[in-house]
Amino acid sequence: MKRIVTKKSAKNALLYIFLLLGGAVSVMPMIYMISTSLKPNGALYEFPPHFLPTAENITVENYAYIFGQEKFYRNFLNSAFVALTTVLIAAFIATALAFCLARFRFPGRKLLFGLVIGTMIIPGTTLIITQYQLADFLNVTNKLWGLIPFYVAWVIPFSTFMIKGYIEGIPRDYDEAVYADGGNVFTVFFKIIIPLSSPAIASVSIFNFLTAWEEFPWALTVINDNLKRTLPIAISGFFGQHQFTQWGYVFAMSVASLMPVIIVFICFQRYFVSGLQSGGIKG
Amino acid sequence: MKKQTMKKVLAFALAAVMVLGVLTACGKTPAGSPQSSDPVVIDFWHHYSAQSAENETLMNVLIPKFEEENPGYKVNAVSHEWAELHDKIIVNAGSDSLPDVARLDIAWVPEFQKMDILVPLDKEMSDFSEVSGNLLDSAMSTGFVKGNYYAMALNTNTKILFYNEQALADAGIAVPQTMDELYAAAAKLSGTNAAGQQVWGLNEPALSGWNILPYIWSNGGAITNEDYTKATGYLNSAATVDTVKKFADMYKEGQFTGFNSGDIPMTDGFGTGRYMMLLEGPWKTAEMNGAYPDFKYGTGNMPAGSGGSHSVLGGEDIAMFKGGDNEGAWLFMKFMTSEFAQEEMAKCGQIPVNKTALESDTVKNAAFAPFLEAITTAVARPPVASWSEIDNLLSVAVTDIIVNGADAQTTLDSLAAQVDTLLAD
Amino acid sequence: MELRTGRNKRQVALLLLPGVAMFAIFTIYPIIKLFFMSFLQWDFGSMLSQSFAGLENYKAVLGDETFRIAFANTIIYTLVTVPGQMILGLMAAVFINAIPRFRVSFRVIYYIPVITSWVIVSLVFRYVFNTEGMLNYVLTNVLHLTDSYIAWLDTRWGGLSVAMMLGIWKGVGWNMVVFLAALQSVPQELYESASIDGCGSIQKFFKITLPSIRPTILFALVMLTIGGFNVFTSIKMITGGKPMHQTETVLTWMYYKAFNTGEFGYAAALSFVVAVTLIFLAVLQFKVMKNNEAN
Repeated sequence: MKRIVTKKSAKNALLYIFLLLGGAVSVMPMIYMISTSLKPNGALYEFPPHFLPTAENITVENYAYIFGQEKFYRNFLNSAFVALTTVLIAAFIATALAFCLARFRFPGRKLLFGLVIGTMIIPGTTLIITQYQLADFLNVTNKLWGLIPFYVAWVIPFSTFMIKGYIEGIPRDYDEAVYADGGNVFTVFFKIIIPLSSPAIASVSIFNFLTAWEEFPWALTVINDNLKRTLPIAISGFFGQHQFTQWGYVFAMSVASLMPVIIVFICFQRYFVSGLQSGGIKG
Repeated sequence: MKKQTMKKVLAFALAAVMVLGVLTACGKTPAGSPQSSDPVVIDFWHHYSAQSAENETLMNVLIPKFEEENPGYKVNAVSHEWAELHDKIIVNAGSDSLPDVARLDIAWVPEFQKMDILVPLDKEMSDFSEVSGNLLDSAMSTGFVKGNYYAMALNTNTKILFYNEQALADAGIAVPQTMDELYAAAAKLSGTNAAGQQVWGLNEPALSGWNILPYIWSNGGAITNEDYTKATGYLNSAATVDTVKKFADMYKEGQFTGFNSGDIPMTDGFGTGRYMMLLEGPWKTAEMNGAYPDFKYGTGNMPAGSGGSHSVLGGEDIAMFKGGDNEGAWLFMKFMTSEFAQEEMAKCGQIPVNKTALESDTVKNAAFAPFLEAITTAVARPPVASWSEIDNLLSVAVTDIIVNGADAQTTLDSLAAQVDTLLAD
Repeated sequence: MELRTGRNKRQVALLLLPGVAMFAIFTIYPIIKLFFMSFLQWDFGSMLSQSFAGLENYKAVLGDETFRIAFANTIIYTLVTVPGQMILGLMAAVFINAIPRFRVSFRVIYYIPVITSWVIVSLVFRYVFNTEGMLNYVLTNVLHLTDSYIAWLDTRWGGLSVAMMLGIWKGVGWNMVVFLAALQSVPQELYESASIDGCGSIQKFFKITLPSIRPTILFALVMLTIGGFNVFTSIKMITGGKPMHQTETVLTWMYYKAFNTGEFGYAAALSFVVAVTLIFLAVLQFKVMKNNEAN
């Protein structure tokens, strides 16, 4: 008996060692980024390089600069506004599509599902030229909210696919009970489908949030004005002309834009995993 | 239980979006009070980098002054990174969302002229010659394409030699005046420093025309004939080939570097004593003051070779786009090339093209005084529409020779043939 | 379900409407337009009037040496990062599933790279892998593994390796979560009866775990292949395609051709070549996995 226990704890110890090593690799770049953001700009190519800032040159000047700029808050709010709005609209639209695809037969259903899968496969960036022309035609270039319909359109296929898989796992008896009580399609959708598939909605919403929060090529292409830029564009803006990059500012701004996402994720990670767990990915 | 938490989450998210929506909406219409007569907005795109002194001057001195002098106009200045500005203009050219007016690298003007998006100023503006008469002829020529002026000169610049003062003194060498002295100095200054790190005598941050042409020209080479119609016989001439070969050798010997993706960026390498010499423009002074204020460096002329001392002419023009508010754009262009604006910009290192501003004390005492002489012998990159494409091919070919050790003669022979067809278009 | 009443039909139509409209306007229409553009002579010289060019753009794409390099780079990137992420992600999931405590902590730590933005981590990698960067210092001056600094970012294979390391590093967490979910749905009884038959942990993994999570593996495979072809920001930020366009991928090359040299017709044709390749690969993956299942 005792031998089995020691063998088991030896095995566990080994697992923990492996996991700790992997975990260290996972967070190391983040820690290096934070440490670099605390060094003065001139100390970046010092020799020998230090992983952590030394006591005499640790500084918050990079943060003071970033937080001292009105633009930063604006870029931050822009990213938050675009990402949250995209998440809410996409959640509703994708759930509605998924519900109809999972539960009803209607003309063009197969075609619609085929297109959803097909467009999931085509990389969004390949459409950038014609989407740009469309944005121009609709007169939504250089408008912050003009980003939203494109982001929503990009995330709908994957969201619909995931939520549809989840809805198919919800027993139809629930729907039938509502219809028997005199309910209609809307009642089923709002009273049964949305609440019961909320774990799947939440988990795709995290992906959608990240997509919109960090999206780079499209925002770079359509947004011009400084005050309408989102965070990734603002960060890449620190690459100056003549190869002069102020890495301290770049990393301080990166840390500032990353922290909210990490905090939100840690708070909601429970929903996230449960959504993936129950059927969303049964293939 | 779980359902309720979910609901709370959604409610919170919704509230957050609404708050943000209100915040951003407020920002769009300042204070929300409608003004009696809405000012006309002039969209101005430029590539003064976002945290530079030039941008401060533009936003805090020039634009307020312009708006004060021209009531009814407001300037919406948008800063882009240099390469990004080029791409943005191309993207927007397909649609009609170009700005009214923009600051353009002089090398882009022929390309945009070919795209038919620039307004021919001497045709459309009645007081054109009056305004252009105040500006340097040599600088104005950068806006002249196929018989018309499509841009006004805005500022000019070139590159001169920057060197690490301490290192030259320690090695006991004088500031290089000729190409041979430059090569010798680069060889002597290369090696390892006290900490055992490699140091390089000469740095170039890229291998495009802007970087290698000063060396080619000063050694008597060229890339095209004087009419910019032929490259064969020039781009693959003995002088050009020898220059590129020399740099390939220097790269092999560890005397020349900086253009690889993994190299130390130019300013940091210079400031930390890893790059000993480089060719740079007037902006370097401000950058060094900002990042490495204690570092001691000196400047000298572009070293002379058998072809003379020829640096590359840089600088910017200001141009207006078709379909924009040409009247407002012209007012702004006149303002930006005026004595006042040019002198203000001179204070932060922009070399003026306005003749009166050039005579001012600000200019005579400016840190860029050493550049003024170099400009008189500097050569412009070929003002042809396909320059961006030629430049790209050139940098690929030169990289192949210098980094991969490809044969200089055969590589440049085939490049010259390619450039010939591009020039013929 | 068949719809019986007209009211319900109308309601379904109403629910479909926003999604179908968004989809049609913002995705389907641009695809169709792009398809037409790929047959047009459309570049700087012809911004305002485009002429029909037949298959010229497709010929130009397929005959372009840089495209072939970019395509090969993309395939290599996908072939390396997809199995890399899946194997490491599956290992992490199996390990986390087996430990008694701190499961949530490890899950969160492993997932952090996934939620960081591509722009930011690309910059960090570029900085770490700089020839004068931290990594070379540690390898050379501290561990003495090499005599001289490795020029990670300066060659085709070096630059691609860094991008691939970034891709794997950033993707392991996603795979871990997906596989963790799948592992927890494998019936416990299967493992119990295998124990009675005297199977060890490794045998159990190959005999029970792998076959049970086959649908998840297919799902991850398809998703990650799409992700591999999507590689863009990391290359643009880390090497910018340098040196000599040797590290371009299909998307960075498409972007360059469209917005740097203005060859829109070429870029449109390139997009279609990529899309067709991806659809072909996805169908192939489904077929192969289905066949395996049948056997």
